Amino acid sequence: MGELAVHVAHLRRIFKVPEREAGLRESVRSLFHRRYREVRAVDGISFDIEPGEVVGFLGPNGAGKTTTLKMLSGLLHPTDGEVRVLGETPARRRREYLRRMSLVMGNRNQLQWDIPAADSFELNRAIYQVPWPEFRRTRDELVELLDLGDLVTKPVRNLSLGERMKVELAAALLHRPAVLFLDEPTLGLDITMQKRIRTFIAEYNVRHSASVLLTSHYMADVEALCQRVIIIDRGRILFDGDLATLATSLAAYKELDVTLAGSGADLSGYGEVRSRDGDRVTLRVPKAQTPLVTARLLADHTVLDLTVEDPPIEDVIELLFAAARPPA
Amino acid sequence: MSERISTASRPRALFDLYRTQARMAVARESQYRMRNVMSLIGFLTEPVVYLAVWTAVAQAKGGSVGGYTPGTLAAYFIAWTLVRNMNVVFTPYGFEWRIRSGEMSGQLLRPAHPIHYDLAYFAGWKVVWFTMWLPIAAALVLLFRPELHPEPVEIAVFAVAIWGAYLVRSLFQWLIGLITFFTTRVAALFEVYIVAELMLSGRLVPMALMPSWVQTVAGYLPFKWTFGFPIEALVGQLGTRTLLTGLGTQLLWIGIGSSLLALTWRAAVRRYSAVGN
Amino acid sequence: MRTLRLIALHLRVVAMYEMQYRVNFFLQLFQSLLATGTGLVVLALVYGQVDELNGWSRPELLVVLGVFTVLGGLVQAVIKPNVVQFMEEVADGTLDYVLAKPVDAQLLVSIRAVRFWQAVDILVGAIVMSVGAAQLRPGPGLLAVLGFLAALGFAAVIVYCFLLLLATTAFWFVRVDTFVESFDGIYQAGRWPVGIYPSWLRIGLTAVVPVGFAVTVPAQALTGQLSWPTLAGAAALAGTLAIVTRVCWRLGLRHYSGASS
Repeated sequence: MGELAVHVAHLRRIFKVPEREAGLRESVRSLFHRRYREVRAVDGISFDIEPGEVVGFLGPNGAGKTTTLKMLSGLLHPTDGEVRVLGETPARRRREYLRRMSLVMGNRNQLQWDIPAADSFELNRAIYQVPWPEFRRTRDELVELLDLGDLVTKPVRNLSLGERMKVELAAALLHRPAVLFLDEPTLGLDITMQKRIRTFIAEYNVRHSASVLLTSHYMADVEALCQRVIIIDRGRILFDGDLATLATSLAAYKELDVTLAGSGADLSGYGEVRSRDGDRVTLRVPKAQTPLVTARLLADHTVLDLTVEDPPIEDVIELLFAAARPPA
Repeated sequence: MSERISTASRPRALFDLYRTQARMAVARESQYRMRNVMSLIGFLTEPVVYLAVWTAVAQAKGGSVGGYTPGTLAAYFIAWTLVRNMNVVFTPYGFEWRIRSGEMSGQLLRPAHPIHYDLAYFAGWKVVWFTMWLPIAAALVLLFRPELHPEPVEIAVFAVAIWGAYLVRSLFQWLIGLITFFTTRVAALFEVYIVAELMLSGRLVPMALMPSWVQTVAGYLPFKWTFGFPIEALVGQLGTRTLLTGLGTQLLWIGIGSSLLALTWRAAVRRYSAVGN
Repeated sequence: MRTLRLIALHLRVVAMYEMQYRVNFFLQLFQSLLATGTGLVVLALVYGQVDELNGWSRPELLVVLGVFTVLGGLVQAVIKPNVVQFMEEVADGTLDYVLAKPVDAQLLVSIRAVRFWQAVDILVGAIVMSVGAAQLRPGPGLLAVLGFLAALGFAAVIVYCFLLLLATTAFWFVRVDTFVESFDGIYQAGRWPVGIYPSWLRIGLTAVVPVGFAVTVPAQALTGQLSWPTLAGAAALAGTLAIVTRVCWRLGLRHYSGASS
């Protein structure tokens, strides 16, 4: 191999949005002379993804995640910068490239609504020109892995949201793409189904050593699947690296989970009380002071249980965003 | 249900509902000017085709057919365009959507009978359309040179009759729409209605050009009162007596339509709550 | 011939699906007969007054009605469902999936949706056409039939291109369904030979919205009124529209993916 799965350098995408003030006079004026505002959806990002790597792409709504995914899959032309996926320039939409990648968007369906998925699979076979034996093998494997059973013979409209997502995934993987772009694949699904989808993506990645770039709102998705995360906000990368080190290197706090014998003690003198559940208290303590505070707690109270943890990843990311945005 | 209706049908409350809903329709539809102009233009093909065909027939027969000259035919079909606009009502197909989307359940919770909202909304919409229709009508007048010399009484009756037509057609289309509660195959019924309307209302051709037995049959049905009557009130030479009888007949059909609707509505609601969508 | 295979496969899948709903066949047949019946009544009314309308006899106008119905069936069964689906996909963003597939996007967009039973119109139209043609004196010769088939093919291309061209504006304006909806209304003008319309309208139905032209030319071919230059004109119009549509499609895609801005 040797080639990178994804190579992105100084990528930029600017949208021109027509600007219109309210009121009749302004709308008439906009007919003749339209004013545009530039929106920098992606503002000079760079990263590489190795073959077989699973990368989580995180950020709030409007951060530029989907725009980036669209540029990677060749749906949008970059305004500036370089994108290479599997050594190809996606925007040229060469068939050889399209045949090796797949895009799944959790909020949009690609299967035809009123025919059974099995038929859509066959259409995809023809479109991607998958040879019959390979098609059958892949299809049966996917049916088994995703536990599809007879779901594929029912019209898609009769499936539940979760079942539909499973079938969508199967359809997207029939041609065994080497690169998989997943935009919110678990959106709106219940916990069990989220887990099922996650396990499957991990399994697919291991079996076929495909590269996966995944965006999600659910931290659990990212924690379960990705060692590496890229955090993006307002078109810029805030963090790119190991998920595990994100918490330790960025968070200035630790969380202390303390269970005391006998309730009622006021612990607010030790740190910021985040929650209290009977005798159990969660404290947030500056990282440097953690050893000191722990020692004081153990000395002053009868402690039944005490754990020191990094704060939840959501909180860390929130801190990251807070730091990147100047206070309003 | 019946209790709620009766409280809200107190005239003043109802008047307030109509005014508010109609005003809302005007505000909303004014935003979609392009779309509205497009659909008005879309309506034009039908009368222009009829007009072209019958003008060609009139010319082939040496200047007139069934008493209509190219000039009066033009007047007939230009008046037609206004009447057609007045005849746009909530489509029976819309009921399927209302039931499926759950909007119907919301409507049943409202204090007034749902038809009032439709009647008021489409009435308000007509105001928007009327302003857009004026320039279109002007263009048609320039292109087709109609011959039209209405008397004041004819204009007055026309102005009332187009609203009568609106009510008659609204009621009967709603009636067909209600069938959606009982079967999913309303489309076929609707098509039959449209064909009957084409033949028996003066929409396809002035009734004078139809065989006399068809004219007799049409006299006993509601269709003619939604197209032919208002148009002929303006274009034809009906005489005051016929004009007033015509308005009376419209009123009669409004009464018949409302009664049928009330009966069907009760059954439909019962069916709806039994199925429990 | 991968294109043909793809088309055949799509057709098969849709047909298999629609076969399950045989009631729709009868409904469609019913609607088709109603519409054709209405057309026949109008012809009866007209020819109750005159023997000839602008040089067209009654059997000749039957042929026009037949061609109108056949072409209308093609529009409703294949062209419009695809165009409508395409516009919906532009509006809700699922067109991305089409573009992410390794097949020509215009092709894929044009072959996916078929309303199978709507093709009943084609059958009913063909019958009306044959009845009309059988009453022609003298009957159509081989050359006329060949000319007719060619003209029908051109007509199909013209209507397809025109509708797709309208729909392609969705790349710029997103909500254009009213344009396509208004086509249904305008198509009704094809019921009659373009010759009966006032000249400004005749030009409009030939050059701007070429439905009148599309329907009239095949009917002229079958009834022996067609001059070869007109047929060549139809061929040229079909070819030009095909190229223009292709170019606009490309431009639209470029705009959609932001290559032009």
